[in-house]
Amino acid sequence: MDFDLGDGAADLRLRLRGLIQENFGPNFLGAFTTNPSDLEDTNNFCRLLASEGLLTLAWPKEFGGGGGSLWDQTVVREEMWAHHEPRGAQYMGLNWVGPALMAYGSDAQKAFHLPLIAAGDVIWCQGFSEPEAGSDLASLRTRAEPVGGAYGDEGWIINGQKIWTSYAGMAQWCIIAARVGGGERHEGITMFLVPMDSPGIEVRPIRSMLGPHHLNEVFFNDVFATPDSVLGEIGGGWSVIKTALAHERVGIARYARCERLLSLIGAELAPHWQDLPANLHTAWVRALVQVRVARLLAYRTVHAQERGEVPDVAASAARIAVTQCDQLVAEVLFSALDHRSLEAGSNAPLRGAVEDHWRYAQAATVASGTIEVQRMIVAKALLRGESV
Amino acid sequence: MNPVLPEEAVQVADAARRAFADLGGVELARHSEIDPKQREKIVAVLSQLGLDALDPRTDPISLAAAAASCAEAGRVALPYPLAASLVRDLDGRPTVAVPNSQVRVDHADLFPQWRVGTLDGGASFVASGAGQALGTRLGPFVSSLNDLRPTEVNFGDIVCQQLLVSWTLLGALENAVSLATFHVNSRIQFGKPIATFQAVQFQLADAAVIVAGLRELAGFTLWRFSSVGEAARADVIALRLHALESARAVFRTCQQLHGAAGVCDEYDISILTRMMQPALRLPAGIEQTAELLTDAVTMDGFVGLFPLGGKV
Repeated sequence: MDFDLGDGAADLRLRLRGLIQENFGPNFLGAFTTNPSDLEDTNNFCRLLASEGLLTLAWPKEFGGGGGSLWDQTVVREEMWAHHEPRGAQYMGLNWVGPALMAYGSDAQKAFHLPLIAAGDVIWCQGFSEPEAGSDLASLRTRAEPVGGAYGDEGWIINGQKIWTSYAGMAQWCIIAARVGGGERHEGITMFLVPMDSPGIEVRPIRSMLGPHHLNEVFFNDVFATPDSVLGEIGGGWSVIKTALAHERVGIARYARCERLLSLIGAELAPHWQDLPANLHTAWVRALVQVRVARLLAYRTVHAQERGEVPDVAASAARIAVTQCDQLVAEVLFSALDHRSLEAGSNAPLRGAVEDHWRYAQAATVASGTIEVQRMIVAKALLRGESV
Repeated sequence: MNPVLPEEAVQVADAARRAFADLGGVELARHSEIDPKQREKIVAVLSQLGLDALDPRTDPISLAAAAASCAEAGRVALPYPLAASLVRDLDGRPTVAVPNSQVRVDHADLFPQWRVGTLDGGASFVASGAGQALGTRLGPFVSSLNDLRPTEVNFGDIVCQQLLVSWTLLGALENAVSLATFHVNSRIQFGKPIATFQAVQFQLADAAVIVAGLRELAGFTLWRFSSVGEAARADVIALRLHALESARAVFRTCQQLHGAAGVCDEYDISILTRMMQPALRLPAGIEQTAELLTDAVTMDGFVGLFPLGGKV
């Protein structure tokens, strides 16, 4: 029994923190701001990470990665999220679009897309959710009609609407799920890789408390996709989605930012920290414990993956704990800041990081699969007699 | 990184599970309440298992075996102070953390002398003279020790006992979820198992996730204690706090899912919930434990990804 990630992990953590400190000012709160230079900074940082061999550290060497361990990948995820994701929107391509391409892509698709992701030169968005297909993703209605025969020998025409699509306004590529043929539910769902500058794609931002770029509607009006844009088998998209979601559910180390902010709040409020009501101090230590628990549940999932298991239920359990912890910490920090919690920007407490965290945490139990869906997965496993 | 208990510890715990089942499982706790002498059966079984020779302070595997055995004891609400008895001195005196105000101990009558100390490290004694047990439904075997002689008790032993008590609670909570799962699968209402109702499923899922988290934290804390000893005080108090909060939520949910049966002693969930109360209230309940943790974290820090008190 050993919970030490090892000297290699500690060194990697320090190296990443050094790079972040060198390349971002203290006001950086992520790429999704109204300041275009934040996006530019994150793109430059991705190229820097690529040149240092850190961007695809955990990818297999055969795909241009560093062949690092799942624990290296975990450290990268923790440090990036803790410091407001300085890779910007590219984490999606790195964390699961790339791995999905490795698992299901043709040789040509791998040869074209993987080097772009590995170089830090491309932003991906995912076209999964639709207005009538949220948690029930298999009810999606976007259709792809073949051109030149049933197998799309001459291409495909895509029509439909996607929603909640993060980064659609800044992405160069979209991985989109569309229905082919007359199948119902999971049948017929097919994945396409489509350039976002294709004629017929329209992106409409959705105003939200999360801030700009996070949520968009994307309309596909007679969008042409080339014959080689299908990822995996025609009608085999559900397997790709499951792979993608499995990566995505453990992908965001929300607990790491929680832990960082909890560690900073005392010094931020000094010398008045000790004068706060006792129940705020106990709420703070309770939050520290919850964050530790969430991190350990995430580690359990990584450990299972390391042993070659597919820990769907463990991943759902971890996700429930991590997302609830995200919201709990947001409230504890807001309670500590009291009326100053309403302030945003560089003059706000912790330069606006707490305010930013609270807003983003509100969607934690919805994004990437609602907490209700995770509960259903956990409960069904329990009722089948499996352990959680 | 390896969060899995060593195989040797798992084997010891498996043997303990079988032995405790042979004693009657939760039934032994039921009988002991009526006839306290039933508890004496346990001593011989612990000896056969080799648990009376196990010292959790000697090496990580012994510590893990002790913890896993305590979880098995908790699973059946074993009416015996196993955690305290595993942390004994050369004279065979068990070690237990007690409240600052009164030296109250569960099953105090089972040993002639005890080593006791407060969780803040402020006082420690050799104590004897167990008074009349409370005899209540929530503390049938709790009594006060009256003869106190100040003495130095290794604080690491107090911390270790509390670590093992949390593992005991973990076992009880794991069984509580198992009992609730069995019940909702078999209880038919409106023509179908109540497990088919989503409101039931969600409660069960939340309870199971809480217990899964407690198990991971218990493993982590075991590793911390085996690595740094009493310097893991904050970690052990954090585990205790989380165990208490988990117990409050999980016992409540699991009783609720049993319906009225949840408060009937015919059902194991009621016995588990009642018999774990002394472990939940002694030496300190939730709020006092949270304050203890605040003090410990302020003094000792809290191991994590970021040092506490850092600057942006």
